[in-house]
Amino acid sequence: MSATRIHGIVLAGVGGQGILSMAQILLEALRRSGLHALQSEIHGMSQRGGSVQAQVCFADTPLTSPLIEEGGADLLIALEPLEALRYVSMLRISGHLVTAEDPVADMEGYPPLEDVHRALRAVRGAHLLDTESLARKLAHKQAGGMAILGLASRFLPVPEETWREVIAQRFEAKGARIVEKNLEAFSAGRQLLPEGVEA
Amino acid sequence: MNQSTLALGVEAVGCAAFDAGIKGAFGYPGTPSTEGFEHVEAMIHAAGPDRVAQWASNEKVAFDLALGMSYTGHRALVTMKHVGLNVAMDAYANAALTGVQGGLVVLVADDPGMHSSQNEQDSRKLAEFAWLPCLEPSTVQEAYDFTLRAFALSEALQVPVMVRLVTRLAHCRAPFQRQATLPPIGVGQVPGNRVQDWVLIPSNARRRYVDLLAKQPRMREAAAELNRLVPGTARRGVAAAGLGRAYFTQLILEYPELAALPRLDVAAYPLDPATEEAFLAQVDEVLVFEEDYPLLEERLGLRGRARVRGRLDGAVPRTGELSPRVLKDALGLGALEHRTAPALDLPVRAPRFCEGCGHVDAYEAVQEALRAIGSPEARVFGDIGCYTLAAQEPLSAIHGVVEMGASISLAVGAALAGQKPAVAVIGDSTFAHSGLPALLTAVESGADVTVVILDNRVVGMTGQQPSQALDQVERLVLGLGVPASQVQVLTPLPSKHAENVAATEAALRARGTSVLVFRRECIQSLRRGVLKEHDRELRERQACPTCVPEVQP
Repeated sequence: MSATRIHGIVLAGVGGQGILSMAQILLEALRRSGLHALQSEIHGMSQRGGSVQAQVCFADTPLTSPLIEEGGADLLIALEPLEALRYVSMLRISGHLVTAEDPVADMEGYPPLEDVHRALRAVRGAHLLDTESLARKLAHKQAGGMAILGLASRFLPVPEETWREVIAQRFEAKGARIVEKNLEAFSAGRQLLPEGVEA
Repeated sequence: MNQSTLALGVEAVGCAAFDAGIKGAFGYPGTPSTEGFEHVEAMIHAAGPDRVAQWASNEKVAFDLALGMSYTGHRALVTMKHVGLNVAMDAYANAALTGVQGGLVVLVADDPGMHSSQNEQDSRKLAEFAWLPCLEPSTVQEAYDFTLRAFALSEALQVPVMVRLVTRLAHCRAPFQRQATLPPIGVGQVPGNRVQDWVLIPSNARRRYVDLLAKQPRMREAAAELNRLVPGTARRGVAAAGLGRAYFTQLILEYPELAALPRLDVAAYPLDPATEEAFLAQVDEVLVFEEDYPLLEERLGLRGRARVRGRLDGAVPRTGELSPRVLKDALGLGALEHRTAPALDLPVRAPRFCEGCGHVDAYEAVQEALRAIGSPEARVFGDIGCYTLAAQEPLSAIHGVVEMGASISLAVGAALAGQKPAVAVIGDSTFAHSGLPALLTAVESGADVTVVILDNRVVGMTGQQPSQALDQVERLVLGLGVPASQVQVLTPLPSKHAENVAATEAALRARGTSVLVFRRECIQSLRRGVLKEHDRELRERQACPTCVPEVQP
């Protein structure tokens, strides 16, 4: 029996940013791609503006552990740069980091933003996304998260069409325009990497 | 029907209860159990009027509702978090003696690591204490399957059956396969000659206790059907339960050499001594992986057949939840190579009050009033809810939080020892949960105590379920004997700060029990429109000339 390769994703952000919603999109997209996937999340007090973390793991055989360990993440996706830094040690040596640059700094002792960005850029394979400008460009206030997901999707074994299906279904109830806006943001993020770079 | 559904572990339990043909689901919210009830509630509402889903004012009430339903021969689910079972313990332990008619399953979600709780007690221990079966799933699929099995077992042995989850499984989202949904028909009334079983006067209770003990071998047999002994070639073995089992199973995928370790996979209790002996005969040393208490570890250790290692000898940390890392350390497997975190001090981003939350305005009024009467250092007893966040900086406004509803009695106890002022802060839902009897005793005691009720009209922290005391707080307060002159209803808004401070100051100076109700709806529920429909109906009733204006919003 040879060892099974288990892939891990860590999602990090601040309560209210939509981390759990993003984790569910990831889970569904991986599942539709024929992979076995699990997602772990924490509810309750942690959601009152505190740090929020979710984990997704997947493999080609059924999994049972909802948690991954340090060094078990192939991908770290963050919607807030300080939150991204908390989980860098979760990344494998070969892992990738995709994070928003824009801080949620409404707290005591937030380090100077340039220090946070410098520390993130020092992580090899890090992709920092200026979600605020992108949201302005797309005239869509909530475009950031979906663009981050689009960029991150380049590192995952899910066909583009599957992502689009899952996103469309997720926002279906909110109307065709919202679906379109989210798909547009997803594509914008996805196109930030030239073809082949992720390999 | 063989469809694959995506859900949280705790939701899979709710879904299974629905499919098992329950007539009703009852519960009190509490992380990480809440979504289990909400899931089955949504299914019940979608299915029409044949079934009911009802939040109760507390876990004991919820349990008794389920037990009463079971007595009619119908299946019922009751949900709570681990500390909620303490509240329901009287009912749970005695229902073991009366027995049940329709299947009664108790979903209890434990919180190892205390993500959202005040302790990490182990509900398996309480099942053992009550001489009742407990099933412990390790995956979302098992959460579903075991719940179906729990209903069958409950009816076969005529006892309540616990399904114990822990946070990581309760909040693990994964696909599972459903079975066909049974209609909520039930097994019919209990025969007349058995009705005496429900009357726990001593003569019956003695007989029923003997009956309960006589069921133990069948409980062990039922548990043994789920517990598995997996042989191996090594002399070191692993006994694992719940998430410990889930983590170890997956570690075998990553480290195939672990398959050589003989294994005792525990999924149900009470444990069967024969299984334990058979396992211990194969090994010289055992590592035990279980969440919370060293229950399995102690049992295996007592047999004296092998060196048993786990939380008691430090092979596994004594407190906190299990994780793949904890198991690997105990097994002597090395850490994975990982990226180095940048050397930058990362401040903790703690949870805090929402922007514009009325609790903050209420606390600021109380603190200023305490300063005004010359007691800025007064110890204030708090309670459990979002408003517990006030224990932290910068407010630091409460100085004791123990269990649901404790604040009032703590303040009365302190007042009876001479503390002045004695102040309790409690939310509306916590007040309904277990503050009511405490307030009755406060009045009866004659102690000088001020009770601040933060009425945000919902159970804020667990997702804004409607409070059982909705629109009724001051009527309840008056009904419990607090004089009308000592009850004030205030609106916690910055613009009302001065008048709120003045009213609080007057309450703090009053003799006997004084009550301040700070009422403003939770801004999260307001944003989501949780009470919109309720309030519209209320306004219509009040505007109607032929209706008696029952309640004030």
